[in-house]
Amino acid sequence: MASTRRGPTPAHERLRRLLVMLPWIMERQEVPVAEIAERFGISEQSVLADLERASMCGLPPFGPEDLIDLFVDDGVVYAGLPRIFTRPLRLSAPEGFALLTTGRAALQLPGADPDGALARALDKLAVKLGDVGVEIDLQRPATVDEIAEAVAGGHRLRIEYWSGRRDASTSREIDPLVVFVDRGFWYTLADDHLSGEERVFRIDRIERVERTGARFEGRDVVPPTETGWFAGDDLPRVALRLDPAQRWIVERYPADSVDTDESGAMLVTMPVTSEAWLARLLLRAGPTARVVAPAEFQTLASRTAARVLDVYRTD
Amino acid sequence: MSDPLERVTNLLALLLETCVPLTITQISDRLAGHYPAKDAARRQTFERDKSLLRSEGVPIEQTVLGGDQAGQTGYWIDRDRYELGELGLEDDERAALQLAVATVQLGTEWGAQALWKLGGSGLSTRRELEASLPSLPVLPELAAALGERRVVRFGYRGSDRTLEPYSLLARHGWWYLIGLDRDRDELRTYRVDRMDGWVETTDDTFERPSDFDPREFLPADAKRQGEGEEYALVRVAAERCAHVESDLGAAAIVERDPDGSTVFRVPCTNPLSFRHWLIELLEHAEVIGPEPVRLDFVRWLEALV
Repeated sequence: MASTRRGPTPAHERLRRLLVMLPWIMERQEVPVAEIAERFGISEQSVLADLERASMCGLPPFGPEDLIDLFVDDGVVYAGLPRIFTRPLRLSAPEGFALLTTGRAALQLPGADPDGALARALDKLAVKLGDVGVEIDLQRPATVDEIAEAVAGGHRLRIEYWSGRRDASTSREIDPLVVFVDRGFWYTLADDHLSGEERVFRIDRIERVERTGARFEGRDVVPPTETGWFAGDDLPRVALRLDPAQRWIVERYPADSVDTDESGAMLVTMPVTSEAWLARLLLRAGPTARVVAPAEFQTLASRTAARVLDVYRTD
Repeated sequence: MSDPLERVTNLLALLLETCVPLTITQISDRLAGHYPAKDAARRQTFERDKSLLRSEGVPIEQTVLGGDQAGQTGYWIDRDRYELGELGLEDDERAALQLAVATVQLGTEWGAQALWKLGGSGLSTRRELEASLPSLPVLPELAAALGERRVVRFGYRGSDRTLEPYSLLARHGWWYLIGLDRDRDELRTYRVDRMDGWVETTDDTFERPSDFDPREFLPADAKRQGEGEEYALVRVAAERCAHVESDLGAAAIVERDPDGSTVFRVPCTNPLSFRHWLIELLEHAEVIGPEPVRLDFVRWLEALV
């Protein structure tokens, strides 16, 4: 495992490395130090330090024939008689869990082959790890596949996209660069020809997709994490007073601060992506949620509710 | 006292090779000079080492001894449980796992560590797809208990629960634990992020019903969750019809009207989820019926005005 940190490596990491390295070396009987360094992503000095440490370890009474039998000569490590640590250590519970979870999630991504190598690997792991019952449900909208293909082939798209802020759809051309799913929502990061900027689009808000016929050159982009692009410093803030039943708001959305009093009521400061977004949030929260500040948002819930009620009164 | 890495490595070797369980005293006698002489310090050092080994995945067995060591705890390692064993992974299968770990972010290093033990290493190629799932510290223990069919105890909003865990499901950015609540004797769903942070795996085992389907028990559409099957009729304005149709499916369409609006049949078994769904559409949707559902929504809005 490549380590980019400076300073001494903690004991648990060195132990982990030894428990993988030793059986690997013993199986091969002789390996150049350089090869070990490359395989494990560490410097040759680290390899030698670890092996020197290992060769002092073994079983009581720690006589010469009780120690791990390794010696280094002219850049090559020679394993003598295998005594202990001849078999690699099993996966820990978190490691097994991570492999099965990421594997199963990957099987739900566009282009995944349900009978391919990944599925076969997971079946073998499941037998070994005795797992049944961890399921991943990524809820992929139908348009994802089309957009993923456009990313792969560099096809420009024309889309009808509904903006939450404007509560209206606009047509625009985009060059999709990457598709990602974050906390259950699917997005594409694309060059947006309407605004001239890189934008993130929610795929479930794309109402129509078609290829324009034009092509573009893809490039490496890093998908933003939810808290990264959602909670920018330049967004306005709102201070809300919420009761315990509205806890789902702070569970779902990033907040700058949450102060809870003895009764369970919360004073929350959070970023606001748009007034329309906040209006919906307040309508969902209900009458017990209060906007403390700023003043311009204090009548938002009431005005929005009245507007929706008009639909029910004109019958 | 010696170098921690050396001490832990020798401890591991000793426990692997021993034919009988060893007490802390026996361990520190055999690993002369590695452990402090004073009882409390020795025990503390040993507990730290044991913890480190266990967190790396080393299964350390322990048992209370009898005979002339009565009452003392003896430790050893079962070799069969220690070893990774032959997974028989082909090169393309290993590569597929590597790609999966590179593509799906769990926010922890576990996946990368696992790959490393299996003989793979990190990938760095341009990725066109990426997924991220939340990760919580209690998940691996819950998953292990699930696999071993062992009853778990955990705190949930301040009260203790005892559960036969049937399934762990990740959906919509949350992890759900579904199982038979032993105190209430009914199937329950728990949001793992709402647990109090501790989980205890008991020695009690159970049988999971063979016909249990987590996706059926907890439908993906939150509006369908709960007892029974309720529906409402909702008229959606023309500008939002395409979106609602792709959300609910064409089978939910009751009628398309000449003005461009469409009436949909929408699940409302879960009143809260239904209301949340409706609010998304604001003035572009109207609940037509049944009358109680329409009235409920109107009252909700009136309380906000």
